[in-house]
Amino acid sequence: MISMEMREKSLEIPSESNYIRKTSEDILKDLESLSLDKTTLFVIKLCIEEALRNAMIHGNRMNESLPVKVRYKVADNRFSVEIEDQGKGFDYKHLPDPTVNENLLRGHGRGVFLINHLMDEVRYNDRGNIIKMIKFLSGGKDGIQDGK
Amino acid sequence: MAFKTENKNGVTLCYVDGEIDINTAPALKKSFDRLITQKTPKIVINFKGVTYIDSSGLATLVEILKNMRVYGGALRLSNLSSKIRSLFEITKLEKLFQIYTLEEEAISGF
Repeated sequence: MISMEMREKSLEIPSESNYIRKTSEDILKDLESLSLDKTTLFVIKLCIEEALRNAMIHGNRMNESLPVKVRYKVADNRFSVEIEDQGKGFDYKHLPDPTVNENLLRGHGRGVFLINHLMDEVRYNDRGNIIKMIKFLSGGKDGIQDGK
Repeated sequence: MAFKTENKNGVTLCYVDGEIDINTAPALKKSFDRLITQKTPKIVINFKGVTYIDSSGLATLVEILKNMRVYGGALRLSNLSSKIRSLFEITKLEKLFQIYTLEEEAISGF
């Protein structure tokens, strides 16, 4: 059980792709003191970057003047992060399955699928422009193989 | 991200170092466009130096594979870390790509 708690932090970033990496690095740096295992950190980094990418590209249409809002915290053995774009939202309940044979060669659709597979809980607001992702810091999904 | 190629027994070995993500995937695609224009018949991408890949990177690999199939080229992947291999398994891309543990195995089967 990870006992440390972290007060909620909020960020607003422009819809520029170089902010995707910068933001995930800043958040991971904040989590350093928790000494999380590499696989958990890999999953958190990947899911944050996938969600930011979707928010910028599909939500804000890469309009640099539109911000992406990020809120994250650690509490009750959970890392939770909310990512909000300024778009109309999307129909998260009816996304094509990228793993079926007819979709395997498609160039998109894997980001949300990976988030749903790797995070322990994923929720959206009704509009579909805010995603909330939760990763248990111990005892969560074993969605990815450990190793180097 | 760094990219270099080498030829061995008629197979073009591609070594990628670093992270393949939304920022680096276009450069990777460009590097492969040259090989595809030359209709390079057999390519092995060695992932030993790849530490991270996101859905943009996976999509770029799918694009490379599709472009190679147009002229009958064959693409194989080797030396994936367990985390990156997991992403291929989760997304079922392991059904699309021929994935080998070691580069030598990928070459010898060609």
